[in-house]
Amino acid sequence: MKEIKQLMTMAVMLKVRAGVIKRRKVENLESLEETVASTSQGLSEEKSEATAIEDMCAHPGSFGDMCFLCGQRLIEQSGVTFGYIHKGLRLNNDEIDRLRNTDIKKSLNNKKLYLVLDLDHTLLNSTQLNHMTAEEEYLMSPPDSLPDVLKGSLFRLDFMRMMTKLRPFIKTFLKEASEIFEMYVYTMGDRAYALEMAKLLDPKKEYFGDRVISRDDGTQKHQKGLDIVLGQESAVLILDDTENAWIKHKDNLILMERYHFFRSSCAQFGFNCESLSELKSDECEPEGALANVLDLLKRIHKIFFYELEGNLIDRDVRQVLKTVRKEVLKGCKVVFSRIIPSKVQADSHHLWKMAEQLGAICSTEVDSSVTHVVALDAGTEKSRWAVKQNKFLVHPLWLEAVNYMWRKQPEEKFPVTETKSKTL
Amino acid sequence: MFFHIVLERNMQLHPRHFGRNLRENLVAKLMKDVEGTCSGQHGFVVAITGIENIGKGLIRDGTGFVSFPVKYQCVVFRPFKGEILEAVVTMVNKMGFFAEAGPVQIFVSNHLIPDDMEFQSGDMPNYTTSDGSVKIQKDSEVRLKIIGTRVDATEIFCIGTIKDDFLGVINDPASV
Ligand SMILES: [Mg+2]
Ligand SMILES: [Zn+2]
Repeated sequence: MKEIKQLMTMAVMLKVRAGVIKRRKVENLESLEETVASTSQGLSEEKSEATAIEDMCAHPGSFGDMCFLCGQRLIEQSGVTFGYIHKGLRLNNDEIDRLRNTDIKKSLNNKKLYLVLDLDHTLLNSTQLNHMTAEEEYLMSPPDSLPDVLKGSLFRLDFMRMMTKLRPFIKTFLKEASEIFEMYVYTMGDRAYALEMAKLLDPKKEYFGDRVISRDDGTQKHQKGLDIVLGQESAVLILDDTENAWIKHKDNLILMERYHFFRSSCAQFGFNCESLSELKSDECEPEGALANVLDLLKRIHKIFFYELEGNLIDRDVRQVLKTVRKEVLKGCKVVFSRIIPSKVQADSHHLWKMAEQLGAICSTEVDSSVTHVVALDAGTEKSRWAVKQNKFLVHPLWLEAVNYMWRKQPEEKFPVTETKSKTL
Repeated sequence: MFFHIVLERNMQLHPRHFGRNLRENLVAKLMKDVEGTCSGQHGFVVAITGIENIGKGLIRDGTGFVSFPVKYQCVVFRPFKGEILEAVVTMVNKMGFFAEAGPVQIFVSNHLIPDDMEFQSGDMPNYTTSDGSVKIQKDSEVRLKIIGTRVDATEIFCIGTIKDDFLGVINDPASV
């Protein structure tokens, strides 16, 4: 009997609760209708309330077109989109400045600068699978049967119909650079490609975090800009093989020699020769471009933090870069022989400018103080003079190599031969 | 906030679905079409809980499709300004942090994180109090207040704050 009674009371309670729920449901429905109504009809009301807040809020940025400080819906879009960090995020210039100012102090305290890294031809080389030649066929074999040197650095991405080869020394480079830089990836590739490459380079997500920028994120077509990098320009270095992508930021740029592993990559840049992949060869790991540039980055970092005087915050890494570059050919005096067309103003030629940036003095006339004659033909008057006077006679590639390596290169590796079929 | 409401929709059905299973086919299609979508008016449709009634079908000229007005009960989710929500942190950076509560994406800017919490970069970026007792990082659960909402066709964006009493971390993934 007792049990039945209990059951009955439970049933009654349940009924009552059901009623409550039902009633609440109705209430909720009403309140929902109310709010819906108020959002549609009461817009003007909300607006007048909002203007008061609007006056106080500078609207530093938005998420989903709402100010992330006051929550108000913003009609006018302003500022810069930071889609690579999160969809729907925008920041105003003042807010970007504020973030950079806070961040730089912390970075400098941690003895870190910022480093922006290009992908293609700088950190890696990619090819489409259908562009691969017969000599590259061996790369298509299963990972286990690949040559040892390629294990862990060659990736076949079937879903993108692509193959990617990481540049030799990349792992050491990223590990050691991450200790002295906060690193960004910045590629002209699209977002999907950028993220896929970041995964190959940084499988444990230790280095880049959400700092992966693609062409979809840029503010200008065919250009890369530091406007979407949240690092103070005076503390940013860039590694890229394409100088023209950084027209506004040349002073931050360390130009990289292009890494071509695949045949299609060589062909794309007009080199009609066997590629590293076809030759079953690769860039030298301990003396290649990445090892060399890591060394340079460490030197610049050391000068910036330990050798400059004055407040850290007033230091400028672009200045350091300029100074270090000027040391490379210090004491050299360079004369160009039939390299610069006579119609062109000599000091506007890119090789002239390059030599000067590297610290050399350039001249149009030979004299005893000249150290190098740069020529394509050993038969020119100045070339003959150089040989006779025991001066260095070098191919223009010498200058380019010095420029890439940030170090004087052995002149004998860049000889100049006599061009037989020359016409005067 | 969750609501249990009745909505109506005109369902177009291909004649091949007619017959004994017409009703089931209709309901299956309704679930597929509606669950997981958003409307600015009602919010995010979490689940269909029942069918109130299915009206008379109307044959469309030319196509042979038949459209049925269907009244159904469903649970919807719609955040409101001033509402307190619990959410899971998905990303932390210099600008603040992003969190998710079901279909809702919430951004809490560093302006609206208490001043005593400072950003720490690294492979697990976080906001931490100076004594280290409170930490917000990826996967933390936080209680936050909504100060702005926007409902799109497929997404709900919210602006949140944790700069108020009783808001902030409710569990710390690092301590679990
Ligand atoms: Mg490149
Ligand atoms: Zn605002």
